[in-house]
Amino acid sequence: MEFIEVNDVVKDYSGHRALDHVSLKVKEGTVYGLLGPNGAGKTSLIRLLNQITRPDSGEIFLDGRPLASEDVMKIGYLPEERGLYKKMKVLSHIVYLGRLKGMTKSDAYREGRMWLERMGLEEWADKKIEALSKGMAQKVQFISTVVHRPRLLIFDEPFSGFDPVNTEQLKKEILRLNEEGATILFSTHNMASVEEVCEELSLINKSRVVLQGNVLDIRQQFKKNLFTLHIAEPVLAPDDSLFTIESITPHPLGGSEAIIRLSKGVTIKETIEKINRAYTLLGFEEVLPTMHEIFIETVTESNGQA
Amino acid sequence: MDKRRFLLVLQREYYSIVAKKSFILTTLLSPIIMIALIAVPVLLMEFNRSDAQVVTVIDQSGRYADKFVDSDDFKYSVLPDMSSSDMKERFMEADGDIYAILVIPKDIDQSHTVNIYSEKPVKMSLSREISDILGRSLSEAKINSYDIPELKKIIAESNISVEVKSHTWDESGESLSSSELATVTGLFLAFLTYMFVLMYGAMIMSSVVEDKTNRIVEVIISSCRPMELMLGKIVSIALVGLTQIAIWSVLLSIGMFILSVTGIFTSSPDVAATMVAGGTQMPEMAAGEMPEIIQAILGVNWLRLLGIFVLYFIGGYLLYASLFAAFGSAVDQQSDANQFTMPVMMIIIIALLIGQACMENPDGTLGVICSLIPFTSPIVMMIRLPYNVPAWEIITSIALLYATAILFTWLAARIYRTGILMYGRKISFSEILRWVK
Repeated sequence: MEFIEVNDVVKDYSGHRALDHVSLKVKEGTVYGLLGPNGAGKTSLIRLLNQITRPDSGEIFLDGRPLASEDVMKIGYLPEERGLYKKMKVLSHIVYLGRLKGMTKSDAYREGRMWLERMGLEEWADKKIEALSKGMAQKVQFISTVVHRPRLLIFDEPFSGFDPVNTEQLKKEILRLNEEGATILFSTHNMASVEEVCEELSLINKSRVVLQGNVLDIRQQFKKNLFTLHIAEPVLAPDDSLFTIESITPHPLGGSEAIIRLSKGVTIKETIEKINRAYTLLGFEEVLPTMHEIFIETVTESNGQA
Repeated sequence: MDKRRFLLVLQREYYSIVAKKSFILTTLLSPIIMIALIAVPVLLMEFNRSDAQVVTVIDQSGRYADKFVDSDDFKYSVLPDMSSSDMKERFMEADGDIYAILVIPKDIDQSHTVNIYSEKPVKMSLSREISDILGRSLSEAKINSYDIPELKKIIAESNISVEVKSHTWDESGESLSSSELATVTGLFLAFLTYMFVLMYGAMIMSSVVEDKTNRIVEVIISSCRPMELMLGKIVSIALVGLTQIAIWSVLLSIGMFILSVTGIFTSSPDVAATMVAGGTQMPEMAAGEMPEIIQAILGVNWLRLLGIFVLYFIGGYLLYASLFAAFGSAVDQQSDANQFTMPVMMIIIIALLIGQACMENPDGTLGVICSLIPFTSPIVMMIRLPYNVPAWEIITSIALLYATAILFTWLAARIYRTGILMYGRKISFSEILRWVK
């Protein structure tokens, strides 16, 4: 069953349409990417899921039922615009947000302490937040988001402003929560992280979904019949019946590396056989487009239409 | 509204303010400063008084020198008559030991004039003291000179002052009332509402703006409804205000008690009374009139006055607080808020001015209208209340106030939930109105 189902949702802000008939489905336990350039409507969609705002039309289902006010307890949300009460103590802050999400006081304290320990912040539990470094404050924000063990975690640009070490730690924790059963919704314009962790995605541009599906499927769908070819010889003669050469450079380990585009109807098998006869073939691999390339291509294309 | 979340927000907002250093300092220092403002001038007066100055009396009439008795401020010494040049020489020789020389002329009974010589113009208090002593002695001498038996007694008896006792009729019969006491109480309560709304309204706004500048607000409203957050703030700050006022009352009472025990308070009742009344006129009540005071206190219907006050106080606070919360949500910085708060502040200030005008003419058209308009009624009606305002007026006014307060809280919640998510734009008044729709 679908965990999140967004059905034909429209949201208008005084004269500006933020979401234009958007639909998407997220299975429970997956890591889902919500991509798009700034101002595309990602945050508007996330706010609908968090019931901060309501759709003008369309429906949203969580766990098979229409979104209800008690559902906020099942969700952990780390907004892009995130902050902390600077004068509060670290543990009190985590406990406050946990309790707002429906935890009991003792549960909130126990889980809060456990998380502080896990993130290496246990000594800071009784310090004021204003005394923390930026990286530590970001960890506290993360803990505040997950302390109530939500079934759905929504991260809006989670890694912006994190240093590489913290980014790694955060990624590890997020994937662990996913393994423990939480569904993760990532909103980002950082494509590299999407390729790495997301299984499915929706690409939103100008308030509409322009691309949707499984990450690997999408990359297959966008592939351009390009292959890298590593041969021991310094040159490669073009063979118009089989392929065209996009580029050829010396390979660092000797020989040369070429990127070739197979002609229509030519199979990989016959290409390899043919090349293998004339050259010493060291490597042959299909080039899948990166999500970054797909992103740019799709967005540019949809902007061109509009 | 989820009661549990509302209480959580309320609790956090309350402690976040009460635990602030600035709040603790203001709460503890204000009464100390107020007490100091009362005590220091009195102490200074005490201090100056300790070295009484010497005034030399030369009584050419020979009849009044013995009337001058040393007071706290001045010591009198009598010298025989001498020429004015001798006098000056004497004064110079004393080299400051003599403050002034008073010369009572022979014809004082006719001229009613005395002369005083000194290096610098003499203090007002000395002139007053001399004029008092001689005035009393001269009129006594005059009365005695008529040689009419029992004249003194006749004069004392003919010195009549009329006391006006005010009675009011109500269903339960006749009762003696003190309109002055009721008026002062009404004015005081109106002033309390005024101060409370201004001080704590501004606090609500800065709390809302702080949430925005902290960027915490989106996290919070993904967990609770904006209405819960807004009302949590409004109610918690009201409690903060009541806490502060309670602490102030206790500290001021303790301070006053200490002052009166140490004698500072009693030695200068005028100063103290003025301070206590906050500059308003206290009805003049001498110690001998104690039973009258008690009667006056009993004459005021406190239950009615305070009951109505509480209703106006809550309604008025809610009305203005929701406005401050709404405007706070529309700005990114405290300084941008002025364009919205200025009109609100003006209305409150105007309400107090109208209220004061109503003391002269409680049943004037302006007063009646303004005690029905919800924005001014909490202040104006409190001042008019002691002057037997008809019940229908009070009921209509309170009903209007609460209807408006609830409407504005609802409107403010709509503005608030949009406003708190708006960043980096200057919001105009007309844009706020659009959010309401």
